[in-house]
Amino acid sequence: MQWYTMGVDLGSTTAKAVIVDAAGEIVASRVVQMGAVSRQAVGVAIESVLEDACLSSEDIARTISTGYGRRLVPGADKTFTEITCHARGAAALSPGVRLVIDIGGQDSKAIAVDDDGLVDRFALNDRCASGTGRFFDVLCRALEVDLDEVVDLALAGTENLEVSSMCATFAETEVISLLAQGSAPADISASVHRSVAARTLGLVAQVGKAIPAVMTGGVAQNKALVTFLSDALGQDLVILDTPQIAGALGAALIARDEYQGQLGLTVQDIETDRQLVAQRSGGLRDCTGCDGHLGDGHAHDHDGGSRRPVPVILQTDALSAAGPSPR
Amino acid sequence: MNTLDPTTFAPLERAAQDPVAYATEWKERTGGLVIGSFPMNFPSELVHATGALPVIVQESRTTITEGRSLLPEFYCSYTRSLADQAATGELEVFDAFVLVDHCVQLLGAADVIQRVIPDKPLHFTQFISSMDDAWSRGAVEEKVQAMRAEVEESTGVTVTDESLTASIRVFNENRRLLREFFDLRRTGRLHIPASALQVLVKSSMVMDITEHTALLQQLLDRLDTLSSAPEHLVRLHLSGHFCAPPRPELLNLLEECDVVIVNDDLYHGSRYISTDVPKDGDPFAALASWYLDRNVNVPCATRVQLDVDWQSYLVDTLADSGAEGVVTLQAKFCEPLMLYYPELRRTLGERDIPELLIETEHEGLAAESIRTTIETFVERIRRQRSKQLLPA
Ligand code: SF4
Repeated sequence: MQWYTMGVDLGSTTAKAVIVDAAGEIVASRVVQMGAVSRQAVGVAIESVLEDACLSSEDIARTISTGYGRRLVPGADKTFTEITCHARGAAALSPGVRLVIDIGGQDSKAIAVDDDGLVDRFALNDRCASGTGRFFDVLCRALEVDLDEVVDLALAGTENLEVSSMCATFAETEVISLLAQGSAPADISASVHRSVAARTLGLVAQVGKAIPAVMTGGVAQNKALVTFLSDALGQDLVILDTPQIAGALGAALIARDEYQGQLGLTVQDIETDRQLVAQRSGGLRDCTGCDGHLGDGHAHDHDGGSRRPVPVILQTDALSAAGPSPR
Repeated sequence: MNTLDPTTFAPLERAAQDPVAYATEWKERTGGLVIGSFPMNFPSELVHATGALPVIVQESRTTITEGRSLLPEFYCSYTRSLADQAATGELEVFDAFVLVDHCVQLLGAADVIQRVIPDKPLHFTQFISSMDDAWSRGAVEEKVQAMRAEVEESTGVTVTDESLTASIRVFNENRRLLREFFDLRRTGRLHIPASALQVLVKSSMVMDITEHTALLQQLLDRLDTLSSAPEHLVRLHLSGHFCAPPRPELLNLLEECDVVIVNDDLYHGSRYISTDVPKDGDPFAALASWYLDRNVNVPCATRVQLDVDWQSYLVDTLADSGAEGVVTLQAKFCEPLMLYYPELRRTLGERDIPELLIETEHEGLAAESIRTTIETFVERIRRQRSKQLLPA
């Protein structure tokens, strides 16, 4: 009998849901934008992903929730932290990964991943929103542009200005002051990105640099930060098509492992387990012998780019489509 | 979980939560002197032998206000709290203070106390920190005699061999009973919140020791031990945190994440009760032996000794307790721990023993972030556990 598992990642600005089948293949995934942590948004994400997969909740053998709001997810059988799930999901999306840098809406993490694609060491940003998605929202507000423009500006910036990366509120004050002094928005944006990269480097230093390194979380879509961070690290970062779903995918795969264990499909030895971990990685092949370097015909897009893009929808859109107005 | 008899536990908890209120009440009741000592090596027996109440001065839970201008922000929270307590009148109940440790930050706090409340005598005699030199024992014995003179001066009472021997006996008995709780916890037959165990130790630091021992005995008499340890929880060792106890809320938070604390080397834990004073021979020389032996039993980052080290002790004690990982609690800016920690981490890392560092502060607890950190740590240990169950 075919069975599926679901992972739900309720973050601070988005709700993500992923369904995988018994082989660990992604069947469907959804990302729902929300203003604040919201049970409604997570409900939308779950319903949408079930609809995309043409499944009902009865078809889901096990659900694991993760993320900042993991305890708010209705119907979850168990919770795992976003650190464990991002490591697992990143290993699935980028087999052989050794370092995961996850930058979400309001926190950032560096995770050293072991041979089995699971957490070895980790470090979280301390209590301030510095270097997170919220930090870039603050930058947009201060420069009065949207996020895409902030990224383009950063890539065009040339001068390195002194901007604190310690605190989002202080940074906003500094940006306004730099504007008043006549600094170019492009240089300001570039400098803020550079300072976030430096701060992230500090986080990485706590767990140790490693290759290959992959970025997950919504901020991984910020091309400027990826560029500055790669420069700061002195190494390439693996860019995922769908960095936002790494946590939910990890949760779905852990749910799959657990359900498989319940069915008695346990592995017999560590080596088989390792191979299975690679297989479990969303059905992607393992990079046997990969030392993390790309090039010479070696790439990390094992599915030949056939993965379906993950639709990102606004919570309000989905609610409208579902019938009654959210108001 | 076991329960500690609530009626017996209540006075211990009250004393642990408000040592100054306890000392004030004791003073009114007995008319005796209250002598404050500072952690971590003052032998309370010396004060007890004069008939005064020895109280290890605790970090206060009140927000640091006046103390902010007395010590820099980069002093540990315990010393900043001491300065604040001195400035806000919280140390009024004490008749004198004694100190034998010489952590730079603690000396800074002692200076502030002397400056802010100059009418309270503060006696400092530096117990040597080089523990295994040929001259170490003789030097500590001299220092014990020096401190004896200071204590006698403050209390106006001569400490005799007989009075000190009697005090040593009651403190040894108190430590023995406390160790029974810790031994039961290690075997898994006692499962009480770590914060409750902390209450037992902390109250012993501030209460009349005979009264405390009677309550401990009553608790033990009324205790139903479990037949076996809870299997589903992850067994952890708590390490670090000198001088001041970690907040009970932090300990509760740890235990909410499917964790059972099976052992520790905290000052408000095993470190404090690890060693008895030899009961035979010259009692003053016995106090020196106690000081030297403690660092062998539970090595400390503030002492230097070539033949023992904290990390080896930690590895051995984990094998003994079956702890699956170590959580190091580090008071922010505690220099001795900060400087030693890389060595601890390296040793545990080399042995593949999971280790997690949590930094603590006087004000606030970033509860959600700490919870996520602990849960991830527990998930990692569980995974390691299930990997080990796989046949080779
Ligand atoms: S040993 Fe650490 S906690 Fe104790 S006084 Fe010194 S710095 Fe503070």
